[in-house]
Amino acid sequence: MQACTNHILVINPGSTSTKVAVFQGGRSMFQQDIVHSEEELSKFEKISDQYEFRKAIILKVLKKNGVDLKCIEAIMGRGGLIHPVPSGVIRVTEKLKHDLRNSPMGEHASNLGGLIADDIARKLHNAVAYIANPVVVDEFDEIARIAGHPLFERKSIYHALNQKAIANEYARTHSKAYEELNLIVAHLGGGITVGAHKKGRVIDVNQGLDGEGPFSPERSGSLPIGQIITACFSGKYSENEIRKMVTGKGGLMAYFNTNDVRQVKTWAEEGNQKAKLIFEAMAYQVSKDIGAMFTVLSGEVDAILLTGGIAYNNDFTDLIANRVNKLARVHVYPGEDEMKALARIGTRVLLGELQPIEY
Amino acid sequence: MNQDLILVINPRPVFTRIAIYQNYNILFLKDIQHPDQELGRFTHYIEQIEYRRDKILSELKANGICIECIQAVVGRGGLIKPVKSGIYEINDAIIHDLKSTEYGEDFVDLGGILAEEMKKIYPSMRAFILDPVTVDEFSELARFTGHPSFDKKSIFHTLNQKAIAKKHAKALMRKYEDMNLIVVHLGSGISVAAHQKGSVIDSNQVLDGDGPFSPERTGSLPLGDLVKYCFRSGKSEFEVMDMIQHKGGLYAYLGTYSALEVDARVNHGDEKAAKVFEAMAYQVSKEIGAMFAVLNSEIDGIIITGGVANSRWFVNKIIERVKNMGPVHVYPGVIELDSMAQVTLAALRGEEVILDYK
Repeated sequence: MQACTNHILVINPGSTSTKVAVFQGGRSMFQQDIVHSEEELSKFEKISDQYEFRKAIILKVLKKNGVDLKCIEAIMGRGGLIHPVPSGVIRVTEKLKHDLRNSPMGEHASNLGGLIADDIARKLHNAVAYIANPVVVDEFDEIARIAGHPLFERKSIYHALNQKAIANEYARTHSKAYEELNLIVAHLGGGITVGAHKKGRVIDVNQGLDGEGPFSPERSGSLPIGQIITACFSGKYSENEIRKMVTGKGGLMAYFNTNDVRQVKTWAEEGNQKAKLIFEAMAYQVSKDIGAMFTVLSGEVDAILLTGGIAYNNDFTDLIANRVNKLARVHVYPGEDEMKALARIGTRVLLGELQPIEY
Repeated sequence: MNQDLILVINPRPVFTRIAIYQNYNILFLKDIQHPDQELGRFTHYIEQIEYRRDKILSELKANGICIECIQAVVGRGGLIKPVKSGIYEINDAIIHDLKSTEYGEDFVDLGGILAEEMKKIYPSMRAFILDPVTVDEFSELARFTGHPSFDKKSIFHTLNQKAIAKKHAKALMRKYEDMNLIVVHLGSGISVAAHQKGSVIDSNQVLDGDGPFSPERTGSLPLGDLVKYCFRSGKSEFEVMDMIQHKGGLYAYLGTYSALEVDARVNHGDEKAAKVFEAMAYQVSKEIGAMFAVLNSEIDGIIITGGVANSRWFVNKIIERVKNMGPVHVYPGVIELDSMAQVTLAALRGEEVILDYK
């Protein structure tokens, strides 16, 4: 009985799969990526309709793999698009569930994480459901919210879970508290966000979803606004088509019809000049955002951290480091481990190191 | 009697600024005002050519200036094909492109056109434009946006940026072509450019592209929200364009185009004015940081110029954020006219290569 405590169940629904894992004390005891076929998902009109379906599969997989639910004390669901929240861990309440279901900021599969976590927790005696560091974490300074016209506002939407996890890991390995460091963290994934972490708060970050910043494998980042307005009024495109150019079919997808950075790099090495230039241009734009965040932190930066899937590509991180390594030391943390990040937060909650916040 | 005079013409929306130089000295400077009742009859600035030309001629005559003594006339360069930096002798191709809308429309186009008009009447004059707005020395990397349907263009305050950078280099007894500089022009629009050994390899696109907001422009806006606004606000294309180019920035937040008025409000304790003014400095600083990365974090200095640089409060807000990058030098105001006259003089003396526009 003694061994069966402090287990943490992590539920992370993505657009085409649901990742589940069980951790104890930071160690993974079980992990599986449950892939959902297009056929299965096509039956549902809205993402929120997939709730029962995904929950049933998760329970089935856990049972089949002999996971003892009685040992679970915390269930961490991936947070979704809800109203802006401070950084940290949030207990799932009725109010939170309402927003996860109704998605005030737009639908996203990750919204299901908190809902399923809560449902499973209700069936257990010891378990409490949480979400942590959703993409809408907002710690902006007031000055960062001003856009350039009062009808528009800059918003904090970014890879908060991974950015915070990597920043904390850097702090731990350098025997510092995250709250005493100034860091620039660049998450290099399908979308790219570059955040200014000032003593534990992300006071500015490019709005990575459909706002601004460098282009990325699937997103355009900033575009010249006059040309965007002309395109909107040209009659050639629907609103949805233009949105797709910005998010989903922008960036590398638009230039090469692939979101695979390795493929683009291979073409570059085979002598494709356009591939070489665009690969470099992406690093160039990331570097510019790092430079911008350097001034947000008034030039006082302890380290620059590069993370996310593209950070596995040394050529890419070298291009960035060559431009910015005089600003601060550059560290590379390739990949992202959302499951581990969520589990780590869960562990800290169980140990009483981290206090859950009210939504 | 040959006095070797140079006439400089810089057209603005509601006035035409003219100056007469002899050698390096300015002899005469005048802003010829064009009141509403006179401009009202024109629907497009291109229709104002003869009107403005006659105003210039009568102003020169009224002040006893020997028009026959004018050896060269230089106009502010407008929106033409992308070209390299320098002085261009006006030819048919320049006039054609200034008058066409192909490369954009702006009052500044009248500069070259009016210079040519003067030459038509006084054929002994040579007519030039210097560093048009479309000077393009961008590196290949700077040209990508993030989608092949959109390209980043080089449109910024070339003339003043180049003139200030060269003046600064001269003051340090160094060559502009040997230096890496970040130049910030703070006018009604704001441009922040990376000058690498004499070439501007990147700059925000100041007209309707990107970068910090300014007294009259919005600069970058969140894209998704802008797209939504275009499709759902019921506004016309003209209205949205007008909003981002002429009714954005300080004007949209505070109802004035005058940064110096905002500066005064801040000094009188107006908190909203302070918040917006500081946000503008914040965005300018971010652009400086971006250009720092463009120059591989190795620069000889940051130069701040333009009318808004007269606000110490504003400039200090920028300096607080960027001082770790290199020395900051402030040259308030613009030196466009001096620069136009000096380069023209150098061209006439064979010290500056006269470029040919095709």
